[in-house]
Amino acid sequence: MKERYTTELEPGFTPVTIAGETARCLLCHDAPCSKACPAGTDPAKFIRSVRFRNFKGAAETIRENNILGAVCARVCPQEKYCQQGCSRSGIDRPIEIGLIQRYVTDLEAAFGMKVLEKAGPNGKKAAVIGGGPGGLAVAAELLKKGWAVELFEKDAKLGGYLRYGVPEYRLPTGVLDLEIQRILDLGLVAHTGVKVGKDVALDDLKAKFDAVVLAIGLAAGKWLAMFEGNPAVETAVSFLRRAKEAGGDIDIPANVLVVGGGDVSMDVCTTLKLLGAKNVTAVVYEELCEFKASRKELAGARAAVVSLHDGYVPTAVDGNKVTFRHRKIDAELTYTAEKIILAIGQEVDAGGLGLAFERNQIGDGTLKAGEKLYVVGDVSADPEKTVVGAVAGAKRAAALIDEELGGK
Amino acid sequence: MIKKDLSVEFLGVRFENPFCLSSSPVGNCYEMCKKAYDTGFGGVVFKTIGPKSYFIDEVSPRFDKLDKETTPFVGFKNMEQIAEHPLEENLADIRRLKAEYPGKVLIASIMGNDEQTWEELARLAEEAGADMLELNFSCPQMTSHAMGSDVGSNPDLCRKYCAAVKRGSKLPVLAKMTPNITDMVPVAIASLEGGADGIAAINTIKSVCNVDLAREIGMPIVDGKSSISGYSGKAVKPVALRFIQQMRADPRLKDLAISGIGGIETWEDAAEFILLGATTLQMTTSVMQYGYRVVEDMKNGLMHFMEEKGVDRLQDLVGRATANIIPAEELNRDYIVYPEIDSDACVGCGRCYISCYDGAHQAMKWDDALRRPACDHEKCVGCHLCALVCPVGAISKGEIKIKPGRSTKAENVRV
Repeated sequence: MKERYTTELEPGFTPVTIAGETARCLLCHDAPCSKACPAGTDPAKFIRSVRFRNFKGAAETIRENNILGAVCARVCPQEKYCQQGCSRSGIDRPIEIGLIQRYVTDLEAAFGMKVLEKAGPNGKKAAVIGGGPGGLAVAAELLKKGWAVELFEKDAKLGGYLRYGVPEYRLPTGVLDLEIQRILDLGLVAHTGVKVGKDVALDDLKAKFDAVVLAIGLAAGKWLAMFEGNPAVETAVSFLRRAKEAGGDIDIPANVLVVGGGDVSMDVCTTLKLLGAKNVTAVVYEELCEFKASRKELAGARAAVVSLHDGYVPTAVDGNKVTFRHRKIDAELTYTAEKIILAIGQEVDAGGLGLAFERNQIGDGTLKAGEKLYVVGDVSADPEKTVVGAVAGAKRAAALIDEELGGK
Repeated sequence: MIKKDLSVEFLGVRFENPFCLSSSPVGNCYEMCKKAYDTGFGGVVFKTIGPKSYFIDEVSPRFDKLDKETTPFVGFKNMEQIAEHPLEENLADIRRLKAEYPGKVLIASIMGNDEQTWEELARLAEEAGADMLELNFSCPQMTSHAMGSDVGSNPDLCRKYCAAVKRGSKLPVLAKMTPNITDMVPVAIASLEGGADGIAAINTIKSVCNVDLAREIGMPIVDGKSSISGYSGKAVKPVALRFIQQMRADPRLKDLAISGIGGIETWEDAAEFILLGATTLQMTTSVMQYGYRVVEDMKNGLMHFMEEKGVDRLQDLVGRATANIIPAEELNRDYIVYPEIDSDACVGCGRCYISCYDGAHQAMKWDDALRRPACDHEKCVGCHLCALVCPVGAISKGEIKIKPGRSTKAENVRV
C-alpha cells in the first residue's frame, strides 16, 4: 500500500511520448498558454525548445522564469491556467503542459544543470517569514537581485505545505528537496525551527533587515464548532502531514468520512484510498458544477474510487455519526465512520506577530503590509491561491521591494 | 470486397499485379521471395547476383534511419552490396521459385564487372528461368568502382554492358539507374541504344544519414568509422518522381517502359508513380520496415482508386499525369489566387501569420483580440505558404486576380 502512496500517480512522458506530445503543439504565434501562466513560466517557449530537441534550453526557460518549476509541473491546476486556452483544443485536446514541464525539469535534474547563478551583493538584507512556496520564491527572487536573504521557518524543514501537505504521490519529497537546494545554492540563509512572534520578534527583524516579507501561508486547518473536541475528528492538514512525514506508514481506518471538496479534500480522499481505506466518502458543500477541486485532483479521487456527495452541509454530529442536509433539495444524509476528516479550508496562524489579519489576509492589496513589511502567498490579497500564484506574487513583490528599497 | 484487374503487361511479360520487391535485402533467397509471392506480390527482383570473382563481405551494422518527431524511417540508409550467397545457390533459388510459381514474375538482377561477366550472368539467369533481367548500374555502395553507380553515370558503359547482356540472353532487359547524376536521360538513352527495353528508377541516393554527436562519427558506426551509402524510403519519393517525369517527358523517351522505385509505402504512392508513367513498381524500404504485408493495402487501395477513376485496366492509368508537368516557363503566370480563410475551421494558432511574415510577403494580418488571421490582398502574392502550414486545412484557394494587361480570364483558370 505504501508503494502506491510513494509512487508518482500520473505516469510521466518517455523520450518517445514527449516527442509526440510536443509535435502535437501548434507552436502558436501568440501562445495562450504563455499568456495564461501567472508566473510567466512561458510554456510556449519551452515546448518549442523541446520540439526542436533543445532540452537544456527548455530547462533554462523554466528555471529562469519559475524557481519552483518542478513543483508547479506537478501541483499546478494547468487546466485553469496554461492549458485553458490551448489552441490545440480546437483539434482535439490541450497539450499536456504540466507533464512536459515535469519531463524537462526531471532532465534538468538528471543532467545536474545549475541554471541560476548567485548575483553580486547589493548590500541590502531581507528577512522572509515562512518557508513555503511563497517564502521560498520571494527569497529566490531577492537573491537573484543581489539581496542577502535570511528565511525563518517554524518547522524543522523548508517547504511548508509542499513538504507537509501535498501527498507524496503528487509531489515526491526528493523533487522538493532539489528545488529548495537550488535556492540554498543561491545563498539563502535558512533558520528552521524558528517561529517569528515566539522565538524571534517581528520588530527585531524589522530593525535588523532592510525589508521583511511575510509568507506565513494558511498553516492551520479550519474547524467547525460542532466538531471541536471530538476525538474521531482530525483536520486535513494534520492528517496529510502525518501521512507525509511517515511516508504513508500510518494506521488507516476502514471507513472514513471526509468533509469538504477542494483540492485538499481530494488529496485526503486519494491518500486514504491509496493507503488501503475500504470506504472513503466525501461530503461536499459545493455542488459538482461549482466544485473547487481541480479536474486532475477530482479525477484522481474518482479513479481511486471515492464516493462523493455534493451540495450537503453538516447539521449535527453525535460522536462518529454526522448528519448532513442538502443545500437546495429536501434530502438528508447520515454517516457513521470510524474517522472524520475536515477538509474545509485553512486559516492563518499568526500568533505573536501582532498583526491584524482580516479574513486570513493582510495588506491593502499592493503586497505591502506596512513600513518595510511586504506580503506574499496565501496571506496576501493576491486572488491566485495556488503555488504558481505564490510564485507570481513573489516575483512581483521582489520587484517592488527592489524598486523601493534596493541598493541601486 | 472490391475486385479489379491489377494485371499489367510490361516488356511482353504479364504481371498479375504491378507490385514487385526491388533487388535488395528483401529478396535475398528462396524463402523470402516465396513469402512475398504468397503475400501477394506480383513479382520479385531477386537480389543482384554478381560475378564469381567478386567477393561479398558486408559490414556490421549496415543500416541507419532518419526520424522526424515520432516518425521513424522518414528515410533509410543501407550499406549492403549485392547478393552474398554463392552464384549457384542463387540460380538454384531462381529455378525453384519459377518452378513453384510459374504465374509470378521473377526478374533477375545482375551486375558484372566487364562485358564478359555481364554476358555470362545474363545467360545463366535466363537458363535458370528468369522472366526478365534487370541490370544493376546503380548500387552506390559497391567496393569496386567498375561496378554500381559509377557505371550508371557513364553512358558508354551503360550502352556497352546492355549490348553484352543482349548477346548473352534474349530476355527483356531493364536498366536500373542511379539518381546520383544530374540528368538521367543520356544514360537511359544509351542503355536503350545498347539494347535495354526499359528503365528501372531510381536506385538509392548517396547519403550520410546522421552523425553521432557524442562520438563524432557518421552512422552506422563500423569500428569507429562510417561510409557514404544509399538513402531510400519516403523521403526520396519526390526525387524518384522527378527522374521518371524527366525521362517520360523527353520526346526521345516517350512511352518509355518504366519500373518505378523510390519510397513507395501506400497505394497513393503507387498511384503517383503509375500516373507519371511507371507500369510496374518496386519496393524495399517499406517492406524492411513493415514486412511483405504492405502489398495487401497497396493492391486493395489501388483497386478502389481504379473504381473511383472509373478504369477497368490499370494500364489505362499509366502516364496520365505526365503531360500535366510542364517546363516552368510554360506555366500560366497571368494570375494570383488569394488564400481564403475559413474562420470557423481556424483554431487561431497564428502559424499562417508567422510563416507569411518570416517566409513570404507579410500579407497575413493578425487580430490579437480575436486571434484570427486575415489576408491583405495588397501584399499577398498568392504563394499559399499559409495553406501549407495551417494545421487544420482552414485555408483554401479563393478569389483570383488577373495581373494587369494579361489575357487570361479568371473564370477559365483551373486553380
